[in-house]
Amino acid sequence: MEKTKPPVVKRSLISWVWTSSLKLQVILILIIMIEVFARVIPLEMQKRIINEAINLRKIDLLFMYCGIYLAAVIAAGMLKYLNNIIQTIIGQRALADIRKALYHYILTLPLNFFRKTQPGMVVSSLITELTTSGNFVGMAVSVPITNVLTLLAFAGYLIWLHPLLALVSLSIYPIVIFLVPILQKRSNKANKKRVDAGRNLSSKIAESITGIHEIQGNGAFDLENQKYDRLIDRLLKIRIVWTLYAQGVKTLNNFFTNLSPFLIFILGGYLAMKGQLELGALVAFLSAQEKLYTPWKELIQFYQVYQDASVRYKRTMEYYDTLPDHEIAPKDRKPYDLEANLEVRNLSFVTDSGINLLDDINFTLKPGEHLALVGFSGSGKSTLALCIGQLYKYTGGHIQIGGKEVSELSKKDLVQNMGFVSQSPFIFEGTIKDNLLYACSARNDENGSGQDAADSMPTLDDMIAVLHQTGIFVDVLRFGLNTILTPDQDKDLVSSLLRVRQNFQRDFGEGLTDYVEFFDENKYLYYSNLAENLTFGAPNRDEFAVTNLPQNEYFLRFLDHAQLTRPLMSLGVQLARQTVDILGNLPPEEVFFEKSPVTPDELDEYKLLVERLNKVKLHELPASDRAKLLELALRFIPATHKMVSLPEILESLILEGRALFKDKISVEDPNAFTFYQISQYIFSQTILNNIFFGKVKTVNPQAQEKINQSIIQLLIEEDFLETIVEIGMEFQVGTKGDRLSGGQRQKLAIARALLKAPNMLIMDEATSALDNNSQARIQNLLDSRWKGKSTLIAVVHRLDIIKNYDKVAVMKAGKIGEFGTYDELIAKKGMLYELEFGKQ
Amino acid sequence: MNSNSENNKKIASCEFQDNLNILRQIDFFSTLPLELNKILAYLCTRDTYKEEEYLFHENDDDGQAYYIISGKARLFYNQAGKQRMIRDYEAGAFFGRLALLGNMPRIFSMKAINELTCLTLTREKFTKALSQFPDQMPKIIKAVAESIQGWEKRFLLHGSENCEACMHNIGVSLV
Ligand SMILES: Nc1ncnc2c1ncn2[C@@H]1O[C@H](COP(=O)(O)OP(=O)(O)O)[C@@H](O)[C@H]1O
Ligand SMILES: [Mg+2]
Repeated sequence: MEKTKPPVVKRSLISWVWTSSLKLQVILILIIMIEVFARVIPLEMQKRIINEAINLRKIDLLFMYCGIYLAAVIAAGMLKYLNNIIQTIIGQRALADIRKALYHYILTLPLNFFRKTQPGMVVSSLITELTTSGNFVGMAVSVPITNVLTLLAFAGYLIWLHPLLALVSLSIYPIVIFLVPILQKRSNKANKKRVDAGRNLSSKIAESITGIHEIQGNGAFDLENQKYDRLIDRLLKIRIVWTLYAQGVKTLNNFFTNLSPFLIFILGGYLAMKGQLELGALVAFLSAQEKLYTPWKELIQFYQVYQDASVRYKRTMEYYDTLPDHEIAPKDRKPYDLEANLEVRNLSFVTDSGINLLDDINFTLKPGEHLALVGFSGSGKSTLALCIGQLYKYTGGHIQIGGKEVSELSKKDLVQNMGFVSQSPFIFEGTIKDNLLYACSARNDENGSGQDAADSMPTLDDMIAVLHQTGIFVDVLRFGLNTILTPDQDKDLVSSLLRVRQNFQRDFGEGLTDYVEFFDENKYLYYSNLAENLTFGAPNRDEFAVTNLPQNEYFLRFLDHAQLTRPLMSLGVQLARQTVDILGNLPPEEVFFEKSPVTPDELDEYKLLVERLNKVKLHELPASDRAKLLELALRFIPATHKMVSLPEILESLILEGRALFKDKISVEDPNAFTFYQISQYIFSQTILNNIFFGKVKTVNPQAQEKINQSIIQLLIEEDFLETIVEIGMEFQVGTKGDRLSGGQRQKLAIARALLKAPNMLIMDEATSALDNNSQARIQNLLDSRWKGKSTLIAVVHRLDIIKNYDKVAVMKAGKIGEFGTYDELIAKKGMLYELEFGKQ
Repeated sequence: MNSNSENNKKIASCEFQDNLNILRQIDFFSTLPLELNKILAYLCTRDTYKEEEYLFHENDDDGQAYYIISGKARLFYNQAGKQRMIRDYEAGAFFGRLALLGNMPRIFSMKAINELTCLTLTREKFTKALSQFPDQMPKIIKAVAESIQGWEKRFLLHGSENCEACMHNIGVSLV
């Protein structure tokens, strides 16, 4: 379908009128015919009621005609409403279609295009600039037809009444038709400028939001404000001019149409005086003439919408009117399975501005050979990798994979055969699994869905294997272990976990006491919050959740009873004061707030509260403030919120309160809580805390390692490891993967490429964010499992891992300075030697 | 903000207060404004290491500075596969300043030789906190420069002239 049509950027606005909802448009035209007809009927009825019914005193005719009159009015009203509904549907559909088509097209544009295009601009094109196009398409059929028909009908009626007078009064309209476009042209010019200025503005906004760290870091507020204000002022001027022209069109139109009665008076009056026109006819003429006004006004408005929409539409489409560098899919064949030998001959890449980024590059790789690309930064390594990966279109020479010229292959051919890990890989919002399967799903989607595609999707085992190989397995396991299960989740899962807990206590309980704080009924838990310490159980109902406790009457009465209200309030006060004092002026960043009982959103609220506290006594505070302070106290985790220490007295009061609470609530509301017991799964806690029946105390990496090992051993014994990893793969990575560390992101990106098992792999500094061990691990993996199987081109930033590569290429200023095996090049004492050991 | 200082006194000594007191005694932090030191004291963490556990290995970029609160740590250098002991650090020692300023894979390894408690501050936290006080950067740079200078002076003072090889490579304060 797509293949035969012109690309969206070449389509005219009008073309959408027919393609988006042809059927609806046809229905709409029918409706309009009936509607116009229904509008004429009252006129005719009017005449018949007077001439036939009233004059002839026929009461039955009067009722009949009035009935028809009423029916026609109701029908016209309903049809008008239907007309509006269909217009809206057509318009919104067209808008959706245009937005989809343009987005689909933009994604295929060359990378180079995006070097100079800010995301904000694309956003404003797709979101704001196209809305008028939708409106226009909605109106495009119905408004002109309805109004032209109405106009013709009334004009005909006028001519029939009095030809001469009609011609004179209608002579106004050609003048308007002549003048309006002249004004409109100026308005369009201003509109074009407005689109461009709006575009600059969105780019500017996107830039400053992206660079907010730099702006705040440098305190460059004035500088940025000036830049922004200048753009806004420019936009302001353009908008004023544009609006004035648009108003001008309206005013001009009003002026001339108002002249019409004047002409009728002067000519009609003259004729009437001369006795050539009856006074009654003149009045009838005047009132009929007035009816011309509304359809005419609507036509002019429509004209303006059309002009505005087409300016915006054209301007937007023009901007994206470049061709994708490569075909997306082959036309009349399946994607190739390419032999993985690579030949690069006389390759050059010159930028638009004439800079030679790659110059006369020559080398060949046999299938399965591994090449390390080294060289100073800026020497063109990434550019070369991008050219081979078809992400840049080289400007001269040849790259051939399996004997086929890369520039002539379609994207699908390449995707089928190649994996690419870019220098700054991107992780998408979604789960680990989504990201892991990203490359595979994309490849398979393009091969069409169905059984074939499902067959070639990796299995769970494949995924787990690649997680292991890239060294992100333990991280994913952690995510799994940190998951909180819901009570409706698999019963087997929970009972297995309880078994794991027992084994854990038996095998490791003793050895890990330094690292884990076990849930012990007789001890204060420094790694749990105060509410947990007091209730020592998981709430089964929402009203007992920590956030709801400060409003829970039952709980508040209990606090009074246990004499805890006052000490908790004063703890809350201390926490609020200290936190506000330390964090009061800091921006809402994770680093600053991870050890704070107050969240960034609440900070301002607590700041004001502290100010109030300085003015009045604690007991004089309003109830809402006291609840806030109590909430803070209930959140208090001594091991995390170090700005306040837990007074010893309070500690023992809470331990007493714990026993009291249990006694009381087990009698009064036995199902409210599930108390922490070694035989019960705790649904308010993570899987890990459930296995421990406690919480980890340390962040020390070596201790973590020990804990991990014992947990893994246990999970393996229970044949449970994969289940937890599977749960872990459902971890949401956040926007751009911001809930993962840089290393985790890179490992995930490598895993995603490896899972696809391409026969050609390009990695651009793919391990730069990894620590030594992880890097070595991945290098070993490449050496042992991929050498001889997949051809690899790796841009390498550290020289200590290149010894095992089959070939090394040293790049300098866009050329390959040296090419050969590591030993050859070192023996030669040339550039590689110099890079590795320094100048001699 | 003044009213808070009296409140601070009332609070039983908490970890945050102790950290603050420690930071204010370290040359690197002592000249910084109290506001900033409070944030740093809040961001610091306490880590314990058991005997034989490593604080960092050669080539690690652990990216943090350490202050020893109690216990002892030993520094090693890997020479042709053999671990060579350099010196011990005891309670009160502060090291790793440069790791706070930028990526700095370790040249040495350090391990605890008895139960060790440290106050640690990571580069990420330090940078984030400092970015709130951009005008303090010069003081930090000055403190680093002075500590390098001080180191070399001490080195020369303590009879290194006996080591002929060393004398060819002195002058690190000239970097
Ligand atoms: N499309 C492009 N247009 C203009 N300059 C570019 C383009 N792509 C890369 N460059 C520039 O070319 C140089 C080489 O870049 P690159 O290949 O990324 O080097 P390396 O990966 O070796 O560090 C850099 O200075 C970069 O800014
Ligand atoms: Mg690069």
